[in-house]
Amino acid sequence: MTDVLLECQAIVKVFPGVRALDGVGLRLTAGSVHALLGENGAGKSTLIKVLTGVHTPDSGRLLWRGGEVRPRSPLEATRIGIGVVHQERNLIPGFSVAENITLQSPPSRRGLIDRAAMTDPALRCLGELGLDLDPDRPVRELSVAQQQLVEIAKALYTESRVLLLDEPTASLSPREAERLFEVVRRLKARGTCVVFVSHKLEEVFAICDTVTVLRDGASVLESSPLAEHTPDDVVGLMVGRAHAATQLRPREVDTSAAPVLSLDAVSTAAGHRDISLDVRAGEIVGLYGLVGAGRSELVKAVLGLDRVTGGEIRVHGEPVRIASPRQALHRFGIGYLTENRKEEGVFLDQPIARNITVTVWKRLAKALGFVSAREERDVAHDLVERLGIRIAGLERHAGELSGGNQQKVSLAKWLAADTRLLIVDEPTVGVDVRTKHAFHELIWELARDGLPILLISSDLAEMITLADRVVVMADHRIRGEVDNDRDYERMSGRIIRVIHDRATSAVRPRAVEA
Amino acid sequence: MMTIRDRGAAALRRFSRSTTTTLLCVVLVGYLALGVASSGSFFEGPSVRTFLRYLATPVLIGLAQMVALCVGQLNLAVGALGGFTACLMGVLMADQGVPAGVAVVAGVLVATAVGLVTGLFIVVTKINGFIVTLGTMTILQGAQYGLTGTRTVDGYSAALRDFGRAAPLNVPLVFLTALAAAALLAAFLYRATAGRRLLAAGGNPLAARLSGISTDRQIVLAHTVSGLLIGVAALTATASLPGVNRSVGGDWLLPSFAAPIIGGVALTGGSVAVLGTVLAAFVMRLIDAARAQFSLDPSWVNFLIGVVVLGTVVGGRIHQSHVAKRGGSRGSAPPAPPRGDARPAAVSPHPGGSG
Amino acid sequence: MTAPVAPPGGDTRSDRPTPARPAHRLPFRADQRLGLLVLVVGLGALFGVVRPTFLDARLVLFPLFRDVSTLTVVALAQMVVLSVGHMNLAVGRMAAFGALFAGLGYDRLGLPLPLGLLLCLCAGAAIGALTGWIITRTGVSSFVVTLAMDFALLGLVSLLYSALTENAAFTTKPSGLAELRSYSLADICVGPVCGSPVIPQLAQFTVLALLGLGFLYGATRIGRELLLTGANPAAAELSGIPTGRRVVLAHTLSGLLAALAGFMAAVGTGTFRASIGDDFMLPSFLGSVLGGTLLTGGVVSVVGALLGTALVGVIRKGLELLGVGLESLNIYLGCVLLLALSADRVRTVVSHRKVVRST
Repeated sequence: MTDVLLECQAIVKVFPGVRALDGVGLRLTAGSVHALLGENGAGKSTLIKVLTGVHTPDSGRLLWRGGEVRPRSPLEATRIGIGVVHQERNLIPGFSVAENITLQSPPSRRGLIDRAAMTDPALRCLGELGLDLDPDRPVRELSVAQQQLVEIAKALYTESRVLLLDEPTASLSPREAERLFEVVRRLKARGTCVVFVSHKLEEVFAICDTVTVLRDGASVLESSPLAEHTPDDVVGLMVGRAHAATQLRPREVDTSAAPVLSLDAVSTAAGHRDISLDVRAGEIVGLYGLVGAGRSELVKAVLGLDRVTGGEIRVHGEPVRIASPRQALHRFGIGYLTENRKEEGVFLDQPIARNITVTVWKRLAKALGFVSAREERDVAHDLVERLGIRIAGLERHAGELSGGNQQKVSLAKWLAADTRLLIVDEPTVGVDVRTKHAFHELIWELARDGLPILLISSDLAEMITLADRVVVMADHRIRGEVDNDRDYERMSGRIIRVIHDRATSAVRPRAVEA
Repeated sequence: MMTIRDRGAAALRRFSRSTTTTLLCVVLVGYLALGVASSGSFFEGPSVRTFLRYLATPVLIGLAQMVALCVGQLNLAVGALGGFTACLMGVLMADQGVPAGVAVVAGVLVATAVGLVTGLFIVVTKINGFIVTLGTMTILQGAQYGLTGTRTVDGYSAALRDFGRAAPLNVPLVFLTALAAAALLAAFLYRATAGRRLLAAGGNPLAARLSGISTDRQIVLAHTVSGLLIGVAALTATASLPGVNRSVGGDWLLPSFAAPIIGGVALTGGSVAVLGTVLAAFVMRLIDAARAQFSLDPSWVNFLIGVVVLGTVVGGRIHQSHVAKRGGSRGSAPPAPPRGDARPAAVSPHPGGSG
Repeated sequence: MTAPVAPPGGDTRSDRPTPARPAHRLPFRADQRLGLLVLVVGLGALFGVVRPTFLDARLVLFPLFRDVSTLTVVALAQMVVLSVGHMNLAVGRMAAFGALFAGLGYDRLGLPLPLGLLLCLCAGAAIGALTGWIITRTGVSSFVVTLAMDFALLGLVSLLYSALTENAAFTTKPSGLAELRSYSLADICVGPVCGSPVIPQLAQFTVLALLGLGFLYGATRIGRELLLTGANPAAAELSGIPTGRRVVLAHTLSGLLAALAGFMAAVGTGTFRASIGDDFMLPSFLGSVLGGTLLTGGVVSVVGALLGTALVGVIRKGLELLGVGLESLNIYLGCVLLLALSADRVRTVVSHRKVVRST
């Protein structure tokens, strides 16, 4: 058990303005499953990128079986023996299973692919994982879960002794996840070290042996046997006491007021069942869940981007059917601050003014749809001042701003529109601590002024700082609701228990099948 | 574990459902129907020869476009480069008295070199390939005109003409050339490591990069191979046409796109269908032959090809969404954001998705 | 290399936006348009000096301006679809389709000049709307759909001409058409003051199109929504923009402008034939892209389309007069396109060095 494969010593990686990794240590032993935990932004993905050669560390050492290594590209990392299965599928859709497995060094003779020689190693890799897949089948015909297993087989082919699985169960059903765990156990048995990166603590405790916890770029718990810790311990380490202590001024919430938005037994084409939820004026309702619980998907269905298949949505007590985000905005005054800032939030190559006023052109428009540039600037200018967005000019492109300021621009458009309900999805992912605090105060003030807010977050500290009530969601269902007493310790325990209760029932060993 | 036979059967099943099979059926039925409609004269030697002789160039330009498409590039210069090369060969032989063999090799080499330069230019400047090939198209059109002016060059080598006319067993040599090029291309794309790298980069650039495949190099390679195939297309065109002038290649651009698209190649890259493209060119040639058979206005051909292309892509899309609906246990992706949806997995779960 | 956006620390809670950094560069598009204008005027002057016939109003400038007027509308037709990140490969054929209806109206229905034009515009808009509708409904890329549309219209227009006419052309000319073709501003006099003889009356349509689109993109809600749809469709949809409708609108406008260009080309040559618009595709991209419109959507330049087209026109005419044979003209034009864009690329790379953006 003391066969150390890979060791990190005091890894530091600095990006302009941010110390993404600040002295991380890690020790990976053969034949073990190692959990790498941390909140969003704690430095997990940067660490993975350093381990797989995407980034080179600014200081610190990587030791492979005691000798120092410096992987400069993913290819070099694989040659050393470090493989990774990313959240994004990294397979060639048109290629067969066998070809994808052998992609890195396909068996060939004189420049020609040797397909016959390809099948055997592919079958061997699949066999070692206990998978029965047709190696000639094009990967595009496989399910997401099967594709993921093919990626693991690919890592076996390159003889990776260390295999990093980045959020492997995020898009798997419990049953598919269990099959993945079976594969992980097999890998462990053959002497591989599997690094398991996940938000789902119940999974971590089900299959991992050791654990490393990152917080703010540093390893607060280093390669410690998992048996010595409880889930609550680990969460405490992930979140840290300092963060949880943020207390905002008290605020009264009228719990008897009529809800502005209610969902009544809503089910959707995205797989949600029986979702009931109320949001009242001046109330911040937290929708907590781990990545993949279906929170953003629920909101998108409510906004008309996916089909609502049952139940009733009511706005101010009136049953409604929202056809599109446009209708949600202009008829019902619902704004949605998306979690994918760059893809769905801001227009990077467009002026900041335009980014902010996009929601109010309809209001500003006069005859012939004329929108006065001065009025547009005034609206944008007011919000820039109000939110303290640091810009060099309203005509500059949003892409030139920092992440936090981009996020503020993304929020500003909903404030400009005077929305009557705001849905805020992971508002502080990827923003620095100070901007994060500013955001929390802002959301708090908006609620104090009477705006109903539905807050989606996987950041437990953020939830407990802001939400009045926390609705806990897992696997596309509501698992329970917890009134927030703002005591971090008690709340985190209660929320985790709500998730945990069902997790024990869902993760049950099942036979592996193809 | 699956047996070899099981796998063979699975492969056969996949084939029977593919676009290629549909096209094959269309080609066979269409050919027979045309034969019957012409009361048999369509099956006779001269008709077959003519039919196949003028099929060679469409096949080759379709393949040339397909190679560009498979790394996600568009090549607008297909017609211009083909026309330029054809005129270059013609002028070299007729005006400079260069022997046919040398002229042909020179032409093909020049076309390949132009493809290489185009690819390098795209990679170095990072300008959209569409615009770059639009530029090279313009330049080559000018160069073609510069070579021939308004005249038709027809005084070229008899050897090349014989090559264009020769048809052992009623199968013209130019058509065999096209088939050989297609077979070599298929072998390259399906069997050669270089070809697989090309397809990998087109199918998933990120994954390819992680496996140590340079996307830039594949773009250059694709344009070079495209140029090479256009060079061969220019050869078959020069050999089978009575003479070359500035209008050669002028009407190649649209068919070059139509063949791969009908053949089942996606514009987004990563997919190839050599046989499909060849068969699609066959179908278009059939439409043309039918038009001639029934003495219809030549415009019917373009109209029908447009309808077929539209029908193919729309039909394909409907089929795709049908499959996605059937296969997805948890419904489909949100319909609204049509592009820029870079991470579908993060937006909505896609358990049974079609990839 | 991927580097995350780095917040340059600082006091993010300050109430005032920091004063603008010293402008180290002009706004990119304004810069480019100015450069184009200088280039057009400079080249025009150069050609005028080297070949005084270049400034001949009747023989050179008038036809040049007429061509530029028509091709500017063609470039605008492409620009409108580029603004939503799409392409229209069928501009030429949509022009022919529109012109067909105008010719049909004059020949069969005996329509007066303006009504024929109206019919032409309606036909163009309708075919554009159909294209846009197919694209939004099926989600197939605009490239493929407009390519197929190009094929279909190429066939259809020729079929209709041969079915409806004897010589594959409508020859009936309504009153006013000849005047529209050859009259310039010199024929409009207010008292003793007459206009310039180099500006053709046909240019009135171009001016209208420029003003209309300038207003649309510069000052209206719809124009801004078109641009944002092109810049980031997913974000646009979530921000409450009906992206589907905007895409249809862009294609409708493109069809309408293409039809207008077709009408102008027909007036310019005097007959309504199927070959109208055959050579529109290249100028449509040359004019719009040289003018600063981005292929990726989200950025247009209405004046740029005019200047880009003018540049191409001046170079073409000037080289022609310098005795550079017609044959070599295209070579120069292609080189101009590639050089202009490479220069742009260099500039963009230089200015982007200052802005760290993750990819």
